[in-house]
Amino acid sequence: MIEILSLQFMQKAIIAGMFLGVMMPFLGVFVTLKRMAFFGDGIAHASLAGIALGLLVGVAPFTVAVPFALAVGALIYFLERYTKISSDSAIGTVFTTSMAVGIILLSLKSGYQPDLISFLFGNILTIGVTDVWVVAIGSSFIMLFLIVFYRPLTLLIIDPVQAWLQHVRTGFLEFVFYLITALAVVFGVKILGIILVSALLIIPASTAKLFSRNFVQLIMYSIALGFTAVLAGLFLSYYLNLPSGASIILFSATFFFISVIITSLWRK
Amino acid sequence: MHLLIMNKQQIVISVDDISLSYGSQHVLNNVSVDIPKHAIMAVIGPNGSGKTTFLKMLLGLIEPDKGTINVLGSEPKKVRNRIAYVPQRFSFDQTMPITVMEFLVLSVVSVKKVDIDDAMEHFKITHLQKAILGTLSGGQLQRVLLARAFMQKPDILYLDEPEAGVDIGGEHDFYDLIKHLHDKHDMTIIFVSHEVDIVSQYATHVLCLNQQHICFGDPKVMLDTETLSKLYGTDIDLFNHKQKKS
Repeated sequence: MIEILSLQFMQKAIIAGMFLGVMMPFLGVFVTLKRMAFFGDGIAHASLAGIALGLLVGVAPFTVAVPFALAVGALIYFLERYTKISSDSAIGTVFTTSMAVGIILLSLKSGYQPDLISFLFGNILTIGVTDVWVVAIGSSFIMLFLIVFYRPLTLLIIDPVQAWLQHVRTGFLEFVFYLITALAVVFGVKILGIILVSALLIIPASTAKLFSRNFVQLIMYSIALGFTAVLAGLFLSYYLNLPSGASIILFSATFFFISVIITSLWRK
Repeated sequence: MHLLIMNKQQIVISVDDISLSYGSQHVLNNVSVDIPKHAIMAVIGPNGSGKTTFLKMLLGLIEPDKGTINVLGSEPKKVRNRIAYVPQRFSFDQTMPITVMEFLVLSVVSVKKVDIDDAMEHFKITHLQKAILGTLSGGQLQRVLLARAFMQKPDILYLDEPEAGVDIGGEHDFYDLIKHLHDKHDMTIIFVSHEVDIVSQYATHVLCLNQQHICFGDPKVMLDTETLSKLYGTDIDLFNHKQKKS
């Protein structure tokens, strides 16, 4: 145990994981309540183009992926709001287009792409000190946003007309929420990978929903479940030499299925 | 001049010649009405007659293509914090574990605990405060929404077919509550309804809409077979039901 904590790459992974393990399940409560699970998945896949561009031009992929994800989030929001296109069609169109751009960009770079595999499946070995700072500051900012706008955001999701009557700037708040979710997904990509990152938004909140008796419990249980899954997954990943993202999500999914069984039996 | 000002003060909502179309489809045509303070006004008409759209225009959610709406001396949007609204169908994620108490606390900015307790007691939902919103019956949910409206202490309350989801026979209890709300807080109430019986019993004014203004006035005078036949486009006979004993 002490050995694992003395390793520098594990220290970085654990610190970044702790921030993500609290922030993503917290945000996930609102994402699932707003039925935006597919949005998270879409942004994660779309970020491939930003990452590929970063790799191609030789800069830290995060520096390109973050503005790219924000732009994709904004584009999806405007397509949903100002066209007749349904939400899933808008997300599906934008994320597949972005992935196509990403694949084309990667094809321009010759040779094996180890960084790409890390981004696809998550790799704790690739987390640098800058990544930890970006995740820590970004996650803190997102959590601060959720705490400050807890009431108007929840009301906006449950009852948009009532939110509007209470002078909540509904359009602006919803737009910011899309951007915040896009940011969160990109922050999680290094540890969890493009393919699995949205699971940390969805699974803890869905698990907590099974046995929570009020909204505050839902948030608390989601965070507890996500945090535990991230730490347990990182340790499992280290000891069994498994991909970090898959290990975290398997823990999270285990909690989910155990909860489904227990709550189903309890109801009988 | 003085009389004119006095008269103006009595009007809380003034709708002047509004029209709305979606493409070639006319939703409302040249509707005008002045709604006096403290009125309980029912809006009636067949399906697709523009009743809900009319209500949404009064709220400021939809702008008319033509004409103006003045609410409490201002544009509807600007006075929306003085208005409460109970929708026809309150759709939300029913699996989400949010309690009645949490819903009420979240719904109104800077609400006091004493006002929430008062509203819950008033609408007999105190025992439901820890219940999850998605587990409530239609009637219970309507009471929660009315309690929320009550907490806001609005000048105007809009209700869109509030009896939807309420058990048959429970409608009168429901409207008694609304009437009580009106009397106690001196508010103006506008509700959309299909129930002519309810309208005759509880409304002080009725607006008959079928994409255009068909009638406006005292429901006891206005709601005759001729007007209703014109409104619904079919022959209608009226039967008097026994009124609920007070």
